[in-house]
Amino acid sequence: MTIQWVAPEQSYRSYLQLHSLFSMLILGAIGIALYLFEVTPINLVPWWVLVLIWLLLTLFFSVFFASRRFLFTAYARTEEAMHLKHGALFRSIRAVPLNRIQHVEYKQAFLERLFGIARLAIYTAGSGGADLTLPGLAPDVAMRFKEELLTTIANEPTEDVDGNE
Amino acid sequence: MSELAWQRTPLLTMAFFFFRQIKQLVTNLSNLLPAFLGIFVAVKNNIWLLYIFIGGYVVFIIINAILQQRFYWYAIADDAVHVKTGVLNRQHLTLKYERIQQAEIHQTWYFRPFGLTLLNVDSAGSAGKEVMIPGLSLERAHYLRQQMLETQTQAPQTSGAPTTPAEEPGFRQHFSTAEIIRAGIIDNKLFVLLALLLYPAGQFDVFDNYIEPWLDQHLSWFSQDTAWLLVVLIFVVPILVLFILAIVVSLVLFHDLTVTIEGDRFQARSGAFTIRTLSFRYPKLQAVRIRRNLRARLLNRSVLKVSQLQPRQSAGQPSAQQFMLPVVAPALLATLREYLRLPNATDVHWQRLSTLALLKPSLWVAVLTPGALAFAYFALELEQYSFIFAGGLWLVLQVYFTLRWYNYRYTFASTSREQWFAVRRGVIGRSENWYPRHKIQQIDVVQGPWLRMLGFHHLILHTAAGSETIKYLPSEKALELQRDWTHAIASSHRRWM
Repeated sequence: MTIQWVAPEQSYRSYLQLHSLFSMLILGAIGIALYLFEVTPINLVPWWVLVLIWLLLTLFFSVFFASRRFLFTAYARTEEAMHLKHGALFRSIRAVPLNRIQHVEYKQAFLERLFGIARLAIYTAGSGGADLTLPGLAPDVAMRFKEELLTTIANEPTEDVDGNE
Repeated sequence: MSELAWQRTPLLTMAFFFFRQIKQLVTNLSNLLPAFLGIFVAVKNNIWLLYIFIGGYVVFIIINAILQQRFYWYAIADDAVHVKTGVLNRQHLTLKYERIQQAEIHQTWYFRPFGLTLLNVDSAGSAGKEVMIPGLSLERAHYLRQQMLETQTQAPQTSGAPTTPAEEPGFRQHFSTAEIIRAGIIDNKLFVLLALLLYPAGQFDVFDNYIEPWLDQHLSWFSQDTAWLLVVLIFVVPILVLFILAIVVSLVLFHDLTVTIEGDRFQARSGAFTIRTLSFRYPKLQAVRIRRNLRARLLNRSVLKVSQLQPRQSAGQPSAQQFMLPVVAPALLATLREYLRLPNATDVHWQRLSTLALLKPSLWVAVLTPGALAFAYFALELEQYSFIFAGGLWLVLQVYFTLRWYNYRYTFASTSREQWFAVRRGVIGRSENWYPRHKIQQIDVVQGPWLRMLGFHHLILHTAAGSETIKYLPSEKALELQRDWTHAIASSHRRWM
């Protein structure tokens, strides 16, 4: 059986880029604060070198790396399991059998609302809160998935076969 | 539903609330250290403050115990147990029998003379509610527990009960005192005690303030030649005392340890003063862990632990509710393995990791060795010995990583009744973790840049009793396993909880 991988919405790429830009901005703000309070060793490195490094890092993460992460993110729904692959450098593929799903959560943060995307978090009883979150779904797709998964869970045949072991 | 019959617990259960408060203080001791420090500073000059603090605390816990007992109500319905607690923050808890994971009867030492017990009930669910009903009479607690667990087992009993008891006759094993002493030797409590004692000793400068002057006074005849005796006395004697203490603790905790197996129910009962019963039902088993530390290996014994679904909350700390046998002789281990449906130790084909798995730690060690050499030469100024230092360090680390790699094995073994995956690891101590395959919750395959270069994947299997990583699987094999196992789990309708 081959798995049909589905890419997230295109706007998820812009979302990732903006998200990483925000992280870099916060980092920059901390840097400026340190500079103003004279914590940084200014004498060692001229300030414009630091700004240049920050700019290059921002360009790298927000333009290149974010879109690369987008490229390697995909999900797949088969009859029996939900799959998600993600990570550009450290790649991982996670599989959650549908009959192990405990509950499903539809999530949409403020920034995601701007881009018109949503997340679907799938929880199992696995330890460490390690669960599956499908990012960058169109809200109606996410909602439909949620309904479908809940129906699947509810109709799960369990325990009846347990007795004959 | 009929009207609930709310009941109070006997007056004696004030003792339970009293001891629970003290137990809370002891377990939170390390967190409260800053507060104690504050008190210590305040008390230093006016000692009467100390009495106020201690007296105030004692009065507080006594009043608290009385109020807690007064405000504790419970009601037993046909399908659930209801508990109302709390003096200021009222709590009303309903626990359905069918959701109960575990119900244990603890005969604590302060209840035992009065024929009372403590019923401890664990439920499933992420919040992991734990309910304690103190002060039940023994037969009532037994009856309640029976009722709780029966509701739960009804589903399998209707179809499979007649065959199960016939297949497996009851098993019973009593542990002798000699075995319990071995358990005490194996147990790590010694080192916990040591750390607990060393910490305050370090805080109060016991050595400088008390021991040294005393030694100066009494041991003036000690010459330089016999100084080593002094060292031996100071370091070895306390360790010996702690060692014996740890054995005594084991003797108290595991006195009269008896393990019984009836059908799919496993039970371990022990205790000199407080009788603890730990049990689990086979369908709820999530993981079997067999540990052997150095002392256990020298004594040829193992420690066996069986995990059930642990609520997230207590996932970090080893739960007191976990089924554990502190000392298992090889013959008993073989029998237990059979009852646990594990394959025979001799039949297991353990697989080793690829030699390439050794490359990364070896490279790291090799890269770091010149650094250590420079450090030894310039910072420690060891001169010509710095080569020996760095070389020795390299050798030790390299041997350690090689042994770790050599001893890491995994297997996908199955018996006729159960399919397992297992990982074995350890350099000095050994541990074997066995998980039933159909209890897996999620399967990950991960690959960083390094693994990508070598063509491997790590396989991470998440179960409700923890995650296990099978490292350095060839990429195709890892992906194939993920696909096959996902399919197998999805099409298995056996209960996993």
